[in-house]
Amino acid sequence: MKMLTVIIFRSPSQDPRKHELEEGILAALAREPDVVSAAMPHLYDFGEADAAMASLRSVTGPLLVLAWLYPRAIHWTLDRLGIKGQCGETQLHRADVAADSQKETLKSGASAPARTIWSLDLRDGDNVVMHVEEIQRILREIHAAPLPTQDGSLSPSPLPIPHPTSNAQNPPLHHWYPVIDYGRCNQCMECLDFCLFGVYDVNDDGHVVVESPGNCKKGCPACSRVCPENAIIFPMHRTPSIAGAPGARLDVQKLDLSELFGAPAAVKLAADERNAALVGDGRKAVADPQHRDDKETKPKDNLDKLMDALDDAKL
Amino acid sequence: MPDELIFMMGNFAARFPTDRRYTLNHMWLRAEGDSLRFGLSTYAIRLLREVYFLEWSVDAGATVRQKDEIGAVESSKAVAAIYAPADGTITRFNAGALADPSAINKDGYDAGWLFEMAAQAGDAMEPAQYLQYLETSWTRAQALLRKQTAQ
Repeated sequence: MKMLTVIIFRSPSQDPRKHELEEGILAALAREPDVVSAAMPHLYDFGEADAAMASLRSVTGPLLVLAWLYPRAIHWTLDRLGIKGQCGETQLHRADVAADSQKETLKSGASAPARTIWSLDLRDGDNVVMHVEEIQRILREIHAAPLPTQDGSLSPSPLPIPHPTSNAQNPPLHHWYPVIDYGRCNQCMECLDFCLFGVYDVNDDGHVVVESPGNCKKGCPACSRVCPENAIIFPMHRTPSIAGAPGARLDVQKLDLSELFGAPAAVKLAADERNAALVGDGRKAVADPQHRDDKETKPKDNLDKLMDALDDAKL
Repeated sequence: MPDELIFMMGNFAARFPTDRRYTLNHMWLRAEGDSLRFGLSTYAIRLLREVYFLEWSVDAGATVRQKDEIGAVESSKAVAAIYAPADGTITRFNAGALADPSAINKDGYDAGWLFEMAAQAGDAMEPAQYLQYLETSWTRAQALLRKQTAQ
């Protein structure tokens, strides 16, 4: 019985070294009796309607995914595609990032099924052995404590998973759209207010969703900057905190006053980015950041009390 | 002109000596020999509260541009990056404040100075101007604090 389904989502780049790593891991996994594995094109370019995603949705057992993205970006991109589960803990971390910032455990969504999904960033290990050893470690973990699937049994993964040869015939629908981390999102609706392109909407459950990803403006990560929880991921953005890097969020223990001491404000940066996208769309730039805080601070009520209240704040 | 001007931050009276000028990023500056000496204004210190960690990311002698990040402070309530207040060369850091940052709270206008620069600082403000600037700055600061403390 196969115990673990492993999918490698290939890099969108033509880099031969990346291809080599992908092929090396696939070859090693072919020798693992408990693993069924397959390779697919770049995860971020898949749409919900793609046949490959439909077949992945039918896998109800433990799933391990490798991609050239941060684990948090992988998990929530899969979630968006209807492939849901609990976040599996992994021990492979890149050497160039402080260990502390990687301690954060991914938080699963509230409605995710019991099965586990492990997300591995292919950039976290530069050789086949590192990745294969981590997969073997996870396999031992599954052996030691069989994880129940939804129907209470260890189900074999349906086989075979269709192996898409190329996306060339069906160019991906969306190259650039936000992915919401529902483990962090607190439904404040700030993104819904901020985005003027109608990307976000509220579903029947009252949750904010990426309703129209096609409306999103390529290169614009502005809503991610205004999100107070840093819950909006643009997996392909060059800035790690926007691309879903581990631990990248506002320090919740302490206030960050850099903005008051001369740092370019994230809100200002976001407004500039949104304006560039508006102008690129032939629309007019918006003068002031339509930001909730601005609206709230206009009536200068008893805000002065805030500073005094800070003395009592449990920070 | 009085020796100092006062700006009310809630119930806290922040004092600003009139024998020096102030910058947009809430530092004071005063001529010290051929250099300009910089420190944090009471406004900045009040926002930070007890400063207990100070570090510089550039060495003395470094040439910097205005708004370059040159260091960071951490306090009981907050962290903040420190940005260069002007174009110029940093000639000296205050070793005393680096060794014991509590000097910034105890005596921010004198012994708690931060660094000296060979610079012009042509856009520095007179105390009265700075107080006007604080009116808008204070509104912004409260918005930021409200946003961050609401989490």
